[in-house]
Amino acid sequence: MLNGKPFEVPPGGSLGVLTLGSIGVRAWKKAKADWDKKNKDGGEKA
Amino acid sequence: MAEKKRKVLLVGWDSADWNMIDKLMANGLMPAMKKLVDNGVRGRIATLDPPLSPMLWTSMATGFRPYKHGILGFVEGDGAGGVRPISSYGRKVNAFWNIFTKEGLKSNIVGWWPSNPVESINGVMVSNLFQHEKAGGEVIALEDWKIPPGTIYPESYTERLAELRVHPQEITGNLIMPFVPKAVELNKKEDKRLPIIARFLAHSTSLHAVATELMETEEWDITAVYHDALDHFSHGFMKFHAPKMEGLDQEQFEFYKDVVNGAYVYHDMMLDRLLNMVDDDTTVIVVSDHGFHSDHLRPKFIPKVPSGPAVEHAPYGVFAIMGPGIKKGEQIYGARVLDLTPTLLSLFDLPIGKDMDGNPLMDIYDHPKEVKYIDSWENDERFGGELVIVEKADKATNAAALQQLIDLGYIDDIVAKNAGESDDALDKNLKNVLKENNYYLAKSYSNGGKYDECLELLLEIEDKDKPDFRFLIDIIDSACKTKRFKLAEEYIAYVRKNELMAERYLDVLEAQVSIGLNEPGKALMLLERAIEEFPDSLQVLIDLGKLLLSLSEFDKAESVYRECLKIDAKNVYAFHGIGISFLRRENYEVALEYLLLAVDGLFHFPIAHIHIGETLALMKDYENAIHAFEIVEAIAPVYKKTYRWLLDLHEILGNKERVEHYTNLVSKFHGGDYRIITGLEGDKLIQAIKKLKSSGVTVNANIDDIYDNNRNVSDKEWIEEIKEDLIYVPIGLIPSLIMQYSYRILYVNEACENTMDFINSKSKIRKKTLDHELLEGLKKQENRTRVWMNQQPNLDILYLNDFDDLTSKLFVSFIGGSNLA
Repeated sequence: MLNGKPFEVPPGGSLGVLTLGSIGVRAWKKAKADWDKKNKDGGEKA
Repeated sequence: MAEKKRKVLLVGWDSADWNMIDKLMANGLMPAMKKLVDNGVRGRIATLDPPLSPMLWTSMATGFRPYKHGILGFVEGDGAGGVRPISSYGRKVNAFWNIFTKEGLKSNIVGWWPSNPVESINGVMVSNLFQHEKAGGEVIALEDWKIPPGTIYPESYTERLAELRVHPQEITGNLIMPFVPKAVELNKKEDKRLPIIARFLAHSTSLHAVATELMETEEWDITAVYHDALDHFSHGFMKFHAPKMEGLDQEQFEFYKDVVNGAYVYHDMMLDRLLNMVDDDTTVIVVSDHGFHSDHLRPKFIPKVPSGPAVEHAPYGVFAIMGPGIKKGEQIYGARVLDLTPTLLSLFDLPIGKDMDGNPLMDIYDHPKEVKYIDSWENDERFGGELVIVEKADKATNAAALQQLIDLGYIDDIVAKNAGESDDALDKNLKNVLKENNYYLAKSYSNGGKYDECLELLLEIEDKDKPDFRFLIDIIDSACKTKRFKLAEEYIAYVRKNELMAERYLDVLEAQVSIGLNEPGKALMLLERAIEEFPDSLQVLIDLGKLLLSLSEFDKAESVYRECLKIDAKNVYAFHGIGISFLRRENYEVALEYLLLAVDGLFHFPIAHIHIGETLALMKDYENAIHAFEIVEAIAPVYKKTYRWLLDLHEILGNKERVEHYTNLVSKFHGGDYRIITGLEGDKLIQAIKKLKSSGVTVNANIDDIYDNNRNVSDKEWIEEIKEDLIYVPIGLIPSLIMQYSYRILYVNEACENTMDFINSKSKIRKKTLDHELLEGLKKQENRTRVWMNQQPNLDILYLNDFDDLTSKLFVSFIGGSNLA
């Protein structure tokens, strides 16, 4: 959430997300981890 | 209602340059920076020499020049015989975060170079080694990536902040694409540049993440975040920036031409986020330590010497500030990197140390603000934070940071290869590092006007068995500046004999010596020879122009300076030179136009302000002339002639109080202040003296035969005994004046041809003289005197062309003849 609003975080990241700073980096790392987990669990490839 | 507490957000962008920013802002690509500029104050900030980032950022954080703050170069001895990246151990003075800690203000300091190990300040400190991910040349895998000791204070924050680091391996293709749109077409295995972009992007993102985290979670009065990425992006990719440089491969250009623009845009995006995080009561500053050539001034090659890439740096960086009490949409002039800490102190109403080399930038404020001073912050014994003790040096971290410096070309790989070893090679390596740092110390002395200290140090470290042309150039240069011309000659002969430098380059140095030895003819020959080989060398052209001005070859000088403008259309020294050429040809309006262009480009250019003052005074615009000299008084109080001008001008305007003030100042100068009349022999000089005498000015000369007076101007007693208002000194004796005194010289301009006729008319009675020999002799004599006068700091010269000038107020004031009609 940024200023009370959700923001989209692509697993591959985006410069816009990175420039949000700590909130963006944390959200991106989580999105990546979720994506990796999903791929590992479901065998799906990006 | 209680006044809101001032907060300051300070953003450091290494190498940021207005040329880049202005173009991107104009295209709507740096909206955050535009917001800052539109709502605040902008200006160019002058760097120091040498323009090396750790030295500069420490000057910015302390207000002191490097020879006082102690941070020299990129590497240092580690105390155990090895070397390590420059650290905070060597800093000898308080940084602003120490002063703020003493004052109970809270700071977040992120990434400042150098700041490892961190200090136990009131607040949080994250060092410049936080984001590094290499051990030597090897990249540490993400899972093994640890925070090295000494990186974070308080240490308890380590885990939370560590998770905000972004590893280059995490940077994905779509993050690279904005920098290299055609990245997919590159051969990933062969291309070595994409990983570099990933690395710089990861570093800046990590630091930005920490800064935002601390801004959100900490109480703070100042947050300062430093990014080195723009410098690194620029060194790596400016050669690919448009317009395409000659000789660059077209395909390579197409791939990488957007990288530097992308880096600036990314920094603007980070800035936008920071601006959104602060309220209107926060003062925001964006600053860089130097600029970066992005146009036709990009060097064609990088010298293969330590710190060679610094030739890509431009002398002016970026300064922009916005906040409560700050002017809006205005420009300031004359900012220097040394002024940052004094300005920060003024923002918090804290006193500025009188021992600091910088000054607060008071022009940023929309209302006059009182500045407080103390003798020194160094005597304040309150706790300001101390270095976190790192018991064991982290070799891997050191090696990683050293590797980065090698990658950038700032240090030799031999330095890092030997880091951590303990044998003779290491000892030798350490000695080389210390020698290099001493060289930077010498450069810093020279930059601070301490030429004696510079020369002394260079002579100490220079090794004739291993000659380094940089040391030799600076020895010759500082020998000239300290008037040790024979020493300079010895070194030039040594360099020539051993063929250590290009002959024509030596010609330029030798010309400096010839000017100092009052051999203008030789200097001219040398410079003209050098210009044939280096027609595009700005320095040679400027030296030549300056010499031609001294020789009163104003048309030729103008033409040489115009050549400079063809190479660099904004060259302030060329503007200044053209301005003087018009001033001396009495075209004051055009002179003023060019002189103003010079100070518009470089405000901290005292001699140009002096010439503006002189031009305005000659135009009888006395009020504005005073303003010009007051600028010199503020930015360079060492120019004594300024005070004499101000005294004269206030006298003309009848400002009694100011006259008294400047009379007191002038009387404090050591030695005396004498008024001289000189010029080539001839009717004009005799007529001038007659007119002066008939106006009531007393002149120490026999009008009937002024040339028969026996005098020894180098005799101290002779000059001290003279009681007349004006002393006549023959033109050839002017260079023999004792320089412990100050002089105002009334120089009667006369054509050599007229003087020749005058002498020949007398010679009919005495002896016949060949015209062309006499003419050459006269020209030579006049040139020697003019060149000598040009070198002297304590001479004020007023050129008399016309007898009408004798009655002007300025002239009357100049010679101090208040009883003149």
